[in-house]
Amino acid sequence: MIIGLQIIALLFSFSMVYFAVLHYKRGELNGMEIGSWLILWLATIIIVVFPQLLQEFAKTFSIVRVFDLMVIGGFIVVISLVGSAYIRTKKLEKKLEDLVRRDALKNKHK
Amino acid sequence: MKIFVVVPLFNEKKHISSVLKNISTYNLPMVVVDDGSTDGSDIGLKELRLKDVTVLTHRINLGKGAAMKTGADFAFEKGADAVIFMDSDGQHEALDLPNFFEALESGKYDVVLGSRNLNYGVPLVRFLGNKFASVLMGLLFRIYVSDVICGFRAVAKTGYNKVKWDSDGYGVETEMVARIGKNKLKYCEVPVQTIYHNSVKGVTLLDAFEVLGNVIKWKLTLK
Repeated sequence: MIIGLQIIALLFSFSMVYFAVLHYKRGELNGMEIGSWLILWLATIIIVVFPQLLQEFAKTFSIVRVFDLMVIGGFIVVISLVGSAYIRTKKLEKKLEDLVRRDALKNKHK
Repeated sequence: MKIFVVVPLFNEKKHISSVLKNISTYNLPMVVVDDGSTDGSDIGLKELRLKDVTVLTHRINLGKGAAMKTGADFAFEKGADAVIFMDSDGQHEALDLPNFFEALESGKYDVVLGSRNLNYGVPLVRFLGNKFASVLMGLLFRIYVSDVICGFRAVAKTGYNKVKWDSDGYGVETEMVARIGKNKLKYCEVPVQTIYHNSVKGVTLLDAFEVLGNVIKWKLTLK
């Protein structure tokens, strides 16, 4: 069962590495961003292959299985990313609105 | 008193000519904000050749609230003492404009809100939704407005900065009411008629839920 989960997690992590590199090559991610994503996914791959590395760490939080620790960690990462994406979208929306409204006020016609 | 009429426009080719013609009988300066229409409403506007109409164009659709703000900013910059907002879909009757003139010219009010007779000709869902909104705004912002979401309303220069909204879309009317309550602005309601043309356009149930979430946000964040 765990082996099955590990295979799925590995496939997912490798495909995410592929997408990160792809976006970097297209110029959509800068050096800093690709570096962060690669560290995150490579760390995930290492933990998936050698889950015992985090066994002691999990115990300090009274979490019995490393799998549970990873699920909790995953949730924390996802929630932070959604939050920061929301803030960025709101900022972009505001900038776009200001731009379009300023343009409309400048180019009035009768 | 210099009063401008601001008409936010989005894909209302069918009604915009008659709406503007009806308003023009009162010889008021009009500001039409074309909010990225794609049905050729803008061509209809150019063909109209009405006096004293300024057209402002949003290159993309931002929403009713943003269009109203662009129109109001322009009107006040041009020296307006007050602006009256009217929808472009023909739901509002220009015949009701004198009710707004009277209230604005009395100088007693920062905001004048149109109020429809909700007992006649209004779909049941909208009637119930509107009444719920009135009660909710009363509880949260200590203000009673009988028709919270009516878009036919006026803002005097004295109240504009305090009532100026952030909402882009259909939350604009509710946000204005929240700001009136929060800033204790002077307001009154005047009776207006409403004709329903299209049940698909305008505020949908999803918009209503979004506005409901925003009401709670405004309660927590408005200063």
